[in-house]
Amino acid sequence: MKRILLATTLLASPAMAEGTLNIYAWSDSIAPELIAKFETESGIKVTMDGFNANEDLLTKLQAGASGYDLVTPSQHFLKIMADEGLLEDIDAHSLAAYQAVDEKWRGQWWDETNEYSIPLAYGTAGFTVNRDQYKGPVDSWKVLFEPEAALQGKIAMLSYPDEIVGAAQLYLGVPFCSEDSAEMKKVYDLLAAQKPFVAAYTSDNIENRIGGGEVAAHFWWDGNSMKTRANEKAPIEYAMPKEGLVGWLDSFVVPKGAANVENAKKFIDFMSTPENATVQYNYYGHSAPVALDLAQAKYTPENAPELFPTVPVEFSRTCSPAAQDLVTKVWTQLLQ
Amino acid sequence: MKPTDFRIWGLAPAWVIMALTLVVPIGIVILVSFASRGAYGGFDWGFSPASYAQILFEEDWDGNLAFTPQYLSIIGRTLWLAGLTTAICAALALPAAYTIAQAGGRAKAVLIYLVTLPFWVSMIVRVYAWIIILGNDGVLEKTLRSLGLVTDIDSLLFTNGAMLTGLVYSYIPLMILPVFASIEKLDPALIEASHDLYGSRFTTARRVILPLAMPGLMAGAILVFVPCLGAVLEPILLGGGKAMLMGNLIQTQFGGGRNWPFGAAIAVVLMVLVMIFLMVNALRARPEVPHD
Repeated sequence: MKRILLATTLLASPAMAEGTLNIYAWSDSIAPELIAKFETESGIKVTMDGFNANEDLLTKLQAGASGYDLVTPSQHFLKIMADEGLLEDIDAHSLAAYQAVDEKWRGQWWDETNEYSIPLAYGTAGFTVNRDQYKGPVDSWKVLFEPEAALQGKIAMLSYPDEIVGAAQLYLGVPFCSEDSAEMKKVYDLLAAQKPFVAAYTSDNIENRIGGGEVAAHFWWDGNSMKTRANEKAPIEYAMPKEGLVGWLDSFVVPKGAANVENAKKFIDFMSTPENATVQYNYYGHSAPVALDLAQAKYTPENAPELFPTVPVEFSRTCSPAAQDLVTKVWTQLLQ
Repeated sequence: MKPTDFRIWGLAPAWVIMALTLVVPIGIVILVSFASRGAYGGFDWGFSPASYAQILFEEDWDGNLAFTPQYLSIIGRTLWLAGLTTAICAALALPAAYTIAQAGGRAKAVLIYLVTLPFWVSMIVRVYAWIIILGNDGVLEKTLRSLGLVTDIDSLLFTNGAMLTGLVYSYIPLMILPVFASIEKLDPALIEASHDLYGSRFTTARRVILPLAMPGLMAGAILVFVPCLGAVLEPILLGGGKAMLMGNLIQTQFGGGRNWPFGAAIAVVLMVLVMIFLMVNALRARPEVPHD
């Protein structure tokens, strides 16, 4: 009898593991009320961890056995993960959630056959200025990269090169993922000339730094800037540089070997119903690539112009190793 | 069972744990540092010293392989900052520890408790506290202004001074405690003897107290210097991330740079530096081991 009990316990342990879901997503990117609702409806226990950079996520997956069942990389990192065999093929196109995905986000270069991913949110990377401190125009990247006196020493950039190098490339007219070292030298020269005017390179706690006026201009994302302006009445404005904004799209994917694949799929479907997607949209404040309940959606071009760019948007690409080395070189030389 | 058997088997668990948690991971880091890089991060097993060569020689913008001082300057900056932090910690810890040692029973216990108190709070929270203190219109700026000491100051945050303050603050308890342990054992009769022999206060401090506090200072120096070499938080959050240190450099290579072998090679260099420091320390400390 004891042996049978023991055997059932052993058998039961994987079954118990089915009652959990470990998510690793951008910090504060998923509405807590949806997590609570999902837990109540499904009986699945959800644990959430947050990251602040795609690089952190990629490194964790490459190190193996991350223990996560669901993660949310941006498109150019999703492509690497898929190519490197780091993702579980979940037949994303056969999920209910896929039907909700906007036509224009299906079959994209980062997941051409829609095997791996269901998009969660998209938006842009640009910069935000504090209007109490800076009154000038914000119609060009020149404002940030070649600042006038009012902004000198009052600029903050992110602590990773990814989108910053992209923005510098937009400004200079250098193509993304350039393998031309002469072109990348120009990117380096631009950033090096800007450096004396940069107060900090940091990706944490941006809301307080720009909202509170610690710096007057901050490299940032559209929705975060919008929420800080709308919810906290911070005197800030998200710039629409004529050279364009850097685009990103985050998707749900399941890491290879995840323990709770079915629960991850359930969560993806759950997040993609119009009702829940709208709650998520209202919470996260970035554009939704899935169908929404428009009557309930909080943000419109009138009250959230940040989410509806009037300038071209260029999505980050997956760079070749040679191009990526040049990006790293720019960054290391900048901060050497 | 022979006593030697017991000694071998009794220590076996410790050796196994040491091997699994210390030797094996370090071995893996060393192996990775000689591996060849994967195209998008990760690595392929192999043997190539290329990653170590890259620390000194790298292609310049024109594609020529040339000597590059950038990584050496990062390593040098890291050593300098860790050394400076250790020196400041030692200078502040000595009088602090002496004061604590001189205090009466109850007060002594309270003071020791206060020194250890910050460890109850997460490191990140303590570093963020400094952001609030040093930030624009922060506690320090407001205080200085209301005292009329300054009228207009540049931001105190995101400076080397802010970074150094953060590092000293974070690690000084690790210096105070061992120094206190040495000074507490100091026999007051020795100080009296020094005065009886016409030793001035300064001479007493230099010739009696300092040598007897030396083992504590040495232990504290290790405890402060070594973690400072790998500091990542303070340079980014307080220093503004404008000048890389080895910790940030390693992070960049594993993250954005997608060059794990090079990141591992720098980690090995960092480790070797730490070991050299520890060995020099151990050799210097040896004659000072008490003989009683």
